[in-house]
Amino acid sequence: MIVRLAAICTAALALAGPAAAACAKPHTSLAAMEGKIMCPTCHTTLDQSDSAAALRIEHFIQLRIDQCATEAQIEADLVDNFGAGILAAPPRKGFDLLAWWLPIGGIVLGALLLALGVWRWSRVRGPDEAAERLDPDTEQRLDELLARLD
Amino acid sequence: MRTLKVTGQVVALAAVAGLLGLLVWRLTHQPKSPKIGAPAPGFSLRRLDTTGTLSLASLRGKPVVLNFWASWCVPCKGEAKMLEAASHRYRSSGVVFVGVDWHDVKSDARRFLEAHGVTYPTVLDGSGSVTDRYNVPAVPETFFVDRSGRLVGEHVVGTVVNQKEKFRSGVQAALGS
Repeated sequence: MIVRLAAICTAALALAGPAAAACAKPHTSLAAMEGKIMCPTCHTTLDQSDSAAALRIEHFIQLRIDQCATEAQIEADLVDNFGAGILAAPPRKGFDLLAWWLPIGGIVLGALLLALGVWRWSRVRGPDEAAERLDPDTEQRLDELLARLD
Repeated sequence: MRTLKVTGQVVALAAVAGLLGLLVWRLTHQPKSPKIGAPAPGFSLRRLDTTGTLSLASLRGKPVVLNFWASWCVPCKGEAKMLEAASHRYRSSGVVFVGVDWHDVKSDARRFLEAHGVTYPTVLDGSGSVTDRYNVPAVPETFFVDRSGRLVGEHVVGTVVNQKEKFRSGVQAALGS
């Protein structure tokens, strides 16, 4: 009887341990982070990989979520372990800022060049349209013809 | 207007030249397999088994067996005990075994070392930068470095358990016999 009671208590403690360790109000979720973290061996984000390395990293993230760690804390842990390459998007500071600003700069430059091109094209088109204009005699005859039709 | 046109052409040419330069740089900096007889790519990495770092340069003068592994790699589990036994067997000859843990979570790696009784120095290559320099696409893989810091013998691709003779020859080559 005592042995059975001890076994039940041990099983209850074993189950209660992880439950107590889990965070009541997690700051993030595995689903929210999977797309932001790379699988280092397959060079895709975790949500697109089933590799052993990706599964272990997912396990680590879940463990840290259960410890009430924030997304920033988990990312910092992963960067410390794997280097900055583990993040799908580069950090928004220092030299890495270039990765954010260069595409924006490229888009702005492209838009400016496009605008300039359109402006120049419209300027060139002006004289061509003037050249295609009808001479006054033809224009008068056309007006008379149209007036007759009315 | 003409100045603007010339400036635009120069900018476009510079952009194309820049992209071509990047392409050439990338092509010329592809990882190449380290050759036998060439100096082993150096490293200085954080230790997993204790605190501090370990550099390959600090082992100059000693034959080194470099084993690349990861805790999530199934064949690595199979060879861990054999490598540990070999590290004891060759210790009297001065051979140093070094584990390089690739793309791994530190806590998992430490559990692996404990579970498999690995006692030789082990370093963490979390970013994979050192492993890339050895052109190791998958683990396990084992290299042999002689006393002068050069790669010797034929490195073992895959588990050493199935390639015992190759492993033994590699260690002998590192010992210089």
